[in-house]
Amino acid sequence: MKHALKSKPTKSKRPAKSARKKHAPPSPFKVFTDGLPADKAEMLRDFFANFSAHCLIAKKDKKELQTDFERAILHYINAGVSLDDALALLDIRNLGGFYARTPVLWFPLDDAAKIYPLSMEHGYMSIFRLSVYLKQPVVPELLQMALNFTIKRFPSFTTTLKKGFFWHYLDTTKRRFSVEQERGIPCQAMKVALSGSQSFRVLYYNNRISVEFFHVLTDGVGGLMFLKALTAEYLRLMGIETGADDMPWNANAIPIAEEVENAFSKVPKSENASGFMDKLAVQMNGKLTDNKPCRVIHFKMNVSELKAAARAHHASITVYLLGLMFLAGRAATDHLHGEASIQVPVNMRQYYPSKTLRNFSMYCGIRLPIEETTDLQSIIVKIGEQLEKKASKESMSAMLMSTVRLVNIMMSIPLFLKQPVAKMVYGFLGDKIFTNTLSNLGVVEMTPAMAEHIESMDSLTGQPISNRASCSVVTINDTVTFTILKATLDPTFEETMYELFLADDISIEVEGSDFYEA
Amino acid sequence: MKLKITYPPVEKRKLQRKHFLRIIRWPVLFAIVVSPIVNLALGGKAWSLVVVLSIYMAWSLVISPDLVEYNRISQPIKTISFSCSLLALIDIFLSPGWALTVVPIVCFGGLVVSGILFFTDIERQKHNLLPMLLLIVLAIIASIVGLSIMRETTGWQFIAMGATAVTLLVACIITLRSDFIRELKRRFHIK
Repeated sequence: MKHALKSKPTKSKRPAKSARKKHAPPSPFKVFTDGLPADKAEMLRDFFANFSAHCLIAKKDKKELQTDFERAILHYINAGVSLDDALALLDIRNLGGFYARTPVLWFPLDDAAKIYPLSMEHGYMSIFRLSVYLKQPVVPELLQMALNFTIKRFPSFTTTLKKGFFWHYLDTTKRRFSVEQERGIPCQAMKVALSGSQSFRVLYYNNRISVEFFHVLTDGVGGLMFLKALTAEYLRLMGIETGADDMPWNANAIPIAEEVENAFSKVPKSENASGFMDKLAVQMNGKLTDNKPCRVIHFKMNVSELKAAARAHHASITVYLLGLMFLAGRAATDHLHGEASIQVPVNMRQYYPSKTLRNFSMYCGIRLPIEETTDLQSIIVKIGEQLEKKASKESMSAMLMSTVRLVNIMMSIPLFLKQPVAKMVYGFLGDKIFTNTLSNLGVVEMTPAMAEHIESMDSLTGQPISNRASCSVVTINDTVTFTILKATLDPTFEETMYELFLADDISIEVEGSDFYEA
Repeated sequence: MKLKITYPPVEKRKLQRKHFLRIIRWPVLFAIVVSPIVNLALGGKAWSLVVVLSIYMAWSLVISPDLVEYNRISQPIKTISFSCSLLALIDIFLSPGWALTVVPIVCFGGLVVSGILFFTDIERQKHNLLPMLLLIVLAIIASIVGLSIMRETTGWQFIAMGATAVTLLVACIITLRSDFIRELKRRFHIK
């Protein structure tokens, strides 16, 4: 039997494509519709006629979108939902006018995003990822429909990266955006070169929904808003009253201009500007792997336990985690001298209120000589002082100003001249001025009805270049997830972190991936 | 530390482009450095310039293609631009006397091909206009320069190239109308 399956049919015996199509068994949806009573069949015809009126995109995309509806209807029917209820949940009005209008919008890249397309290479792009873990396995058919309904809310995400004469920009594309089952390594480069390519991907695996974004689109705040909207829409399609109707992330809310603006240009100009340059930092040891990340590790903790441990050291959670990271980093390096530095992204919206969903973050570097990194108590005060000073409004504004100035200086230089220089500088420096990263997305607020169906969340910062690890932390409900993205097989860093957490009486559940590189 | 696996297993992948690039980078760099040295050592015509440009052409078109805007307009135009540059170099340094006839003909062919590729899928390709526009502008400038150099002869090849470029430009403007202006605004924005 196996042999018979493997043998290829000869060309002459193979029926023509049209004949194969003719004799192909009817699709499950066709079988379903054939068995419907006349009034229900009529209702379904009206539904799809309405769909056609709302969908004027390319034929291939329209066909796929229609198939998405058919699959979702079949899922509902198989789950025992009546056709009336299924069609009500999948109401065509949820598509809005997105698929019925030609693309006209375009968006210049925000000041922070301009570096990303200049520095990307084959196999390397700045991609970050946000995930939500539900209490039930994900239904792919409904997740696809949730994306189809949600995407209209985020006009700057429905775009393709294009090359202008002076700068890259985002050009709107109208198409069906697809969800995929997770199969590969997280945060891998996307193919953004083809006409109509998307710069984000939606993935699912068991009970996890993940969205990976190319940083040209957004930062963690915008990404989080998208994930909330997608999750809310998915839960609505699951028949759950989410209570998200009045929330800004409601998929049917009308997008506003402020959400797509370059917030950097709205910050009042000031004289103070400080550069991004710094001394090279000591790196953790261990051979860099070919596949980055080579492993993903999540430490899931109880928020009260973590708070109590931080409080015992008279520190905030961020300062406490930075302290542990410095100690674990010290254990993971053979260097005896030099400075370790941890990059901490700072959300600029806290200083300059903005509703933008584009990039509006800067970063600061917390630096400590490794000779002084001996115990938590001695470094935690220094970290706290540095964080307060370096992440202050003044320091961050000065860095923001230097970004704005750099963009202004470079604005009239043609892209073909800028690109090689930027690539060279980025290739030389990369992330070498830092040892590690800690991105704290804080506490994610959802409606109580949504939170009830969510187990936890996590975020991944993206492929490091020279750094051996990169960390992030996010909290939802009472679960804190501290994530380590590894770029070396040496397990010292994560093992030391684990021991340090345990030493402070924090119980941890460890989850993650296997090694992507043996 | 016991870790619960919550990610799917990943199949061993084929050789990725980034790994391939990492391997091939060194022989390519070697060839780029060595050929001018050999050329200088042996003397004679500057064939190494043609070699270096050919290697760069192969690198840019095949080995490490564009990461942004890899489409049916940009790639043929990139090929034509490289080919014209290569032909010009061969004419200048190796075998002179024919490029002023051949290069405009190749460019004319390129304009025709890109015009066909553009107008047969206009809805999608109107967002990929810039490379064709740059080729058109270059062709018009080259025609004017060529015709002013070749005053003694008819310079039919430059007339053909220039006329095709102007026709293509007018056709684009008439077909795209306001989209043409919008596309220019996007492509030449500086903020």
